[in-house]
Amino acid sequence: MKKRVVSLMLAAMMMVVAVGCGKGDKAGSAANGGGAAADASALGDDGKFAETHHITVEVYDRGNDGGSDPVNNKYTDYIKKGMLDKYNVEVEFVAVPRWTEVEQISNLLAANNAPDVCVTYDIATIETYGNMGGIVDMKDALETNKDILPNLWKHLGETNIYWDQHPDTKTIWDIEAVRENQNDVNTFIREDWLKKLGLEVPTTKEEFYNVLCAFRDNADKLLGADASKLIPYSISFDAGYRAKTLNYSFADPNMTDKEFYINSFDDRGFTIPGIKEGVKLLNKWYNEGLIWKDFALYGAGDKTEDDLIKAGYVGAFTHNWDYPFRDGENSIDTNIKKFGGEDAKFIAIDPFEDKNGTHTKWISGPVDRKIFFPSTNDDILASLLYLDWISTPENIEYLQIGDEGVTHEVGEGGEISIIAATGNDIQNSGMNIDYTITTNGLKLVDPALTEKSLAYSYAGIDPQLVGDADKIAKTDNRAAKSYHIGAIDAETGMGDPLNQKRDQILDQSIVAPVADFDKIFDQGMQEYLAAGGQAIIDERKAKWESIHGDKENLD
Amino acid sequence: MNKIKSDAPESRNPVSIYFKRYWQLYLLLALPMLYLLIFKYIPMIYIQIAFKKYSIVESIWKQKLAGNHGFQYFIQAFSDSDFRRALRNTLVLNLLDLAIGFPIPIIFALLLNELCFKRFKKVVQTIAYMPHFLSWVIIYGLALQLFTPSTGLVNMVINNLGGESVPFLNDPGHWIWTYIFLGAWQSFGWNSIVYLAAIAGINNELYEAASVDGAGRLSKIWHITLPGIRSTIVLLLIMQIGNILGGTFDRPFALRNNLVISWAEVLPTYIYSHGIKGLQFSLTTAVGFFQSVVGVIFLLLANTISRKLGERGIW
Repeated sequence: MKKRVVSLMLAAMMMVVAVGCGKGDKAGSAANGGGAAADASALGDDGKFAETHHITVEVYDRGNDGGSDPVNNKYTDYIKKGMLDKYNVEVEFVAVPRWTEVEQISNLLAANNAPDVCVTYDIATIETYGNMGGIVDMKDALETNKDILPNLWKHLGETNIYWDQHPDTKTIWDIEAVRENQNDVNTFIREDWLKKLGLEVPTTKEEFYNVLCAFRDNADKLLGADASKLIPYSISFDAGYRAKTLNYSFADPNMTDKEFYINSFDDRGFTIPGIKEGVKLLNKWYNEGLIWKDFALYGAGDKTEDDLIKAGYVGAFTHNWDYPFRDGENSIDTNIKKFGGEDAKFIAIDPFEDKNGTHTKWISGPVDRKIFFPSTNDDILASLLYLDWISTPENIEYLQIGDEGVTHEVGEGGEISIIAATGNDIQNSGMNIDYTITTNGLKLVDPALTEKSLAYSYAGIDPQLVGDADKIAKTDNRAAKSYHIGAIDAETGMGDPLNQKRDQILDQSIVAPVADFDKIFDQGMQEYLAAGGQAIIDERKAKWESIHGDKENLD
Repeated sequence: MNKIKSDAPESRNPVSIYFKRYWQLYLLLALPMLYLLIFKYIPMIYIQIAFKKYSIVESIWKQKLAGNHGFQYFIQAFSDSDFRRALRNTLVLNLLDLAIGFPIPIIFALLLNELCFKRFKKVVQTIAYMPHFLSWVIIYGLALQLFTPSTGLVNMVINNLGGESVPFLNDPGHWIWTYIFLGAWQSFGWNSIVYLAAIAGINNELYEAASVDGAGRLSKIWHITLPGIRSTIVLLLIMQIGNILGGTFDRPFALRNNLVISWAEVLPTYIYSHGIKGLQFSLTTAVGFFQSVVGVIFLLLANTISRKLGERGIW
């Protein structure tokens, strides 16, 4: 009898397992549907859906110390309420780790599990999935519903909406968020160390090198007992980005649009002529003990380097133009004062001159993240309405600056200055950039006020520091354009493997003995080109010539 | 109808008697069989991705055959220097693991077995098991704290003693040994359990008889314990040889960095970075298929050899 009971229970369990397996197919069949058509007539006279719709939206999770839950906090509540009131659409956020977003979104797409509204910085991922039929063509939905998407069209403009349109098929797989501020990277240096050693702010590579040597040689004076921990210049495993202005200063500032385009698959400019010289200089510095010895051992998103900077062991580094000012209470600028003394601070400098004597900074176009809908999205209209809502000036303003007295103050001249918030009011990303997915950079309803407030938009940071950094980041800019060439077949699936390879070659070249540098770099470059880099360059060149003829520069 | 009924009454058919008696056991067996079917056999249908041009939206049956009679991706893999390097690394690291990581648990089990104090033995055993429960990400974190050139504890001690930092993690030659050592450290305690169980099964009278004949400790180990666990050792050896091109993903993935990648990229990580991150599903299914075929060949080979040598083998 007992045996029989056990057997029956087992049989019941099997049923459960079998039923559980049956459910797994749901996502698969949705993918074949390819997304429902967006028909504005589904909206009632009040502009709302009659029945509550439900969409999921990707949001970056930055894993900040003391941050709030990225999918459930004051600001997500604001968005959820706004969407529900205006359109009767329920919004659910899906967190994707910021520093591994490309891998994560790939995994989600491959599993047919991606949010309805996706965001990525990596166009190659979109093109790859688009070629497999995994991405919705937004063109018709955007154009036929233009009159119910006024804010989206106004904010992005034709430039950003058509930025990535395919030149032949006219499909739009993704639209580009607006980069209000096109600043790229800056180099920062410890001003108090310069003063302590009686040094001038370096303005050339030569002077910068001398300053780094002085930091190294005076470690006892600067750090006392911790002298052995001093790092004159710190970079990360992503040396292409974290020494970008240095590397690019060896590129030709008069490079034609064509040459730039051909080499711009790699956004660290790995194949651009001259970059090798920059890496060679890094290699020399590394061997002279000027660069952090452990830089290659810590992966993406690791906070060790930030902690070393905050602890006051680092003399100079290159990073996002406003990096030391980000994160309010946890910013580098605030922390360095705790550990490195009251007068400790990083100032932006511009020491890497190019062959013309200018400081050309190769910045991106007015574009930022790419927004796309995976083919599992079965509610295109609601998703577009979400983009419209998140592009509405008032909503952007509230998300960016929050409540007066809590996340911002109004100064005497009317300028908005951001103040550090705590608990539920905290903004996980600077000015909630992760929620305002169509916007990167301060954008208030009043443009004049935006201009005035920019330097005040970092909680607890001296506006002068921010203003100076902004000015340097805007010196000698050269912005990328939309080349309207469309997807390059050879790039399919190569984004991540080639980026990884580039990082490996750069890191290995930097730590090589000086005598071996050329061998290791050249061998690595050959491997990079053979692994797909050359095919991409060739196809880009051929497509440029077929679309733009023998034009070297676009207007 | 009547005829059938009289000709084959249930009770006289030996098969039905058998099932009537043992059906509960078969029901018990059904669950694991179902598991195998759902998670091991049904997925094999998708091996055909290796021979087809994969599309994320098209049904697997409708996808077109890849070039070169379907072998396009196998050719592509073998002409890819990354793949050849990953293949070499997988072989080298797994062979080293076999040479160093395999005997350690056996030696450890033998040593534990010789300990007289029961309580001490238990404590040692428990401590040795612990690393098995740490994830590789945590172990890499520990390794960074210990072995980085400038802030690692071990290197700081070496520096203070007047030595140069040892590039445990950032030079491929050193990294391989760090990798092997950490692997052995993580798993030797856990892997010794099987051997301890086998040792416990050896008849005690054999030891007593040997003592009467004047055998010492070492000769008892050599002549009784080792032969007693030989079949277990062979079994595990065959299994590990069958896994010569496989191996775990998390260990090499967590321990690697850009400087040692030329020796740290193995097939499982290659499949991850090219297949899932690089979206080349067909290519990496081909690689995975190749891995499995080689694994099966090695398994059969090892099994045959062991049977030739008089051992039982796996089956």
